[in-house]
Amino acid sequence: MSVLEVRDLAIRFGGLQALQGLDLDVNEYEIVGLIGPNGAGKTTAFNCITGFYTPNEGTVRYRGQDVTTAPPHVKAAMGFGRTFQNVGMVKSATAMENLKTAQHAKAGYGVAAGLLGTAATGRRERVLEAKANAILDLLGLSAIRDERVGGQSYGTLKLLELGCALATDPDLLLLDEPTSGMGPDESDELGERLLALRREFALTMLVIEHHVPLVLRVCDHVYVLNFGRLLAEGKPSVIQTHPEVVAAYLGGEAPEALAQTHETAEDAALDAVTEQAVREHQVVEHRVVEHGAVEAVAAPRPRKAPVKRASTRRPVALDDPPTEELAVPLRPRRRPAPTRKDTSS
Amino acid sequence: MTAVVDPPVGRTPPAAGPDRAAEAVARPRREFGPVRWVPRAVVLLALAWWALVYVPGTFAYSAFAADACIYAIIGLSLNIVIGYTGQLSLGHQGFVGVGAFAAAYSLTVQEVPFAATFVIAAGLAAVFALVLGLVALRITGLYLALITLVFGLTLEGSLFEIPRFTNGGAGQPADRPQFLFDDGRFYLFCLAFLVLACYVDYRLLRSKTGRALLALKENERVAEAFGINVTAFKLIAFTLSGALAGVAGALFAYRIGIVTGSGFGFFLALTFVLMTVVGGLGDRLGVIMGSSFFAVLPFLLEDSPLKRAEEAIAGVLSFGDAGTEANIIQFFPQALGALLLLLTLVQFPGGLAQQVRPFTDWLKGEPFDARALLPHRGSSGPGTVEGSSVRA
Repeated sequence: MSVLEVRDLAIRFGGLQALQGLDLDVNEYEIVGLIGPNGAGKTTAFNCITGFYTPNEGTVRYRGQDVTTAPPHVKAAMGFGRTFQNVGMVKSATAMENLKTAQHAKAGYGVAAGLLGTAATGRRERVLEAKANAILDLLGLSAIRDERVGGQSYGTLKLLELGCALATDPDLLLLDEPTSGMGPDESDELGERLLALRREFALTMLVIEHHVPLVLRVCDHVYVLNFGRLLAEGKPSVIQTHPEVVAAYLGGEAPEALAQTHETAEDAALDAVTEQAVREHQVVEHRVVEHGAVEAVAAPRPRKAPVKRASTRRPVALDDPPTEELAVPLRPRRRPAPTRKDTSS
Repeated sequence: MTAVVDPPVGRTPPAAGPDRAAEAVARPRREFGPVRWVPRAVVLLALAWWALVYVPGTFAYSAFAADACIYAIIGLSLNIVIGYTGQLSLGHQGFVGVGAFAAAYSLTVQEVPFAATFVIAAGLAAVFALVLGLVALRITGLYLALITLVFGLTLEGSLFEIPRFTNGGAGQPADRPQFLFDDGRFYLFCLAFLVLACYVDYRLLRSKTGRALLALKENERVAEAFGINVTAFKLIAFTLSGALAGVAGALFAYRIGIVTGSGFGFFLALTFVLMTVVGGLGDRLGVIMGSSFFAVLPFLLEDSPLKRAEEAIAGVLSFGDAGTEANIIQFFPQALGALLLLLTLVQFPGGLAQQVRPFTDWLKGEPFDARALLPHRGSSGPGTVEGSSVRA
């Protein structure tokens, strides 16, 4: 079963057909890229998937359940975590407050209990705070814990926003241009971070991204949108050389930058270093042991055992040799139900 | 196993594990010796004595002090809607009126126990606020302000004029029980309610509800992405605000002893908004101070330098015409309010809260920082008006 299954999605704004016949699958533990020129409808697709827009046609299924018309906050509680193109946070609040706000759906107490200030509320608040601290540590943002978000640099904001999305305890993470405002080095770092986060939090991701090397590096599968329609889909290496994609988006010949993204010894070494760095911050979940004491739990947490998928995309495994398995996500792939022409091959 | 009842481990800071210890090292506690705390304790004790002993024992002050408490509760109520949720309500006097009439009617006509009248007042006002909240879901900004304005005016002109509930122009009596006849005691009674309102406000900000309101005030889309049900929490804000205003209304009814519909006009709503903004939106202490100031303004205008200033200004502006002078004096509080509002928006966006922060920080053990008293434009403390619909 796919984590996310979008079928025949279409939305119109007045006379503008922003999306038309979009089919998209995201399987368990996959990182799926959504690319395309400006105005292609990528963010619109995100908004339809996360419930901010109601599509005119088509369905959105989440783990088999039809969630096409579910409002955003319901989807957030289900496990849709998302970031925004232009940083979605409460800018007048501190980093810590934002991370606590983001845990709203998992707060674990009611409005009335919160107002009365019951003992259970206090315990839950401490858990929320511990989790927020763990996320700040994980992202190396502890220094801005009590600072107002509004004054931070754009790159920091994007990273903290990712932290907020993580704080919503997502199952499926939808990232809208996570590297915007970042330099090439920071972008590469973010790519490694995404891979590490997938491992640690057992995440599945759908990523809108313009930074092509990142897409090629981390994505297991790529969808290319153009003028609201699916132009092509396939594994990154195929997309990279797809003539229509090159013409519509990449422009001319495949740029040099793309060549260096294939797995090399250097990449493997980098992976090992990142791995280690991530291990040092392995506190990914906090558990109330008893009497409100918070204990860090250092184990990765597969949310669900990989189940049989309808899609024939080779499943992404989280446990077996991570570096090799995850680093090069280039795998043979076939569409399950070819209801339309497969443009990727 | 040993079933010894150990004290909760998580509550005792030293035994809470390496994390807490590390935190303690990172943020060393300030030394808080007698030199630091004695003057602060003296000030706090003096304030407490003034509020709890001197004012209730002074006949001339206690009635106004009760007013100050009631206005402060209304200010906190309005702050939830304007300061935290970013909606504007010009109809709050309606909720206060509903609370006042509900208390008076249930006590005098239905002969409900005194304590229960507060529950009825809060509940009924909350229902009215919920209805207004439903409107606020669809409309924001200027048009919401207009709708709430009309809502308040309509209540004043319709519901508050129904003779069966309000006893017509004669007003609905609301007699205090024996033990509250004394104004000093009644003030302490109101003060207790104010403390309760402060606790609710404190808990609101410390729980997910307050965070949800602040998030949706700034950006509804982000709030939704965080899993916050924007619709529900807007309604919760209005309902909670209405309930607080209803309680204040009940206290108001017992304060004046007889409730008439004409007492809940538009000027009252205007005063409520003014006192909240001038106090400092989003800041509990500031709002309480602003509200108290506007509550005791009539008293200050009876006998104080302010009275002489008022007379001097009125004398100049009226060119010696007695009728005009009376008019000017009648609208003086509003004019002063408008002036203070202007000063707040332009020079002190944090309101009174910003002005008293050096003092409150000092009480908390910080050194006194007089620079904060100077006007600073574009300041962005938590109590700024920016982003709320007041400025829009």
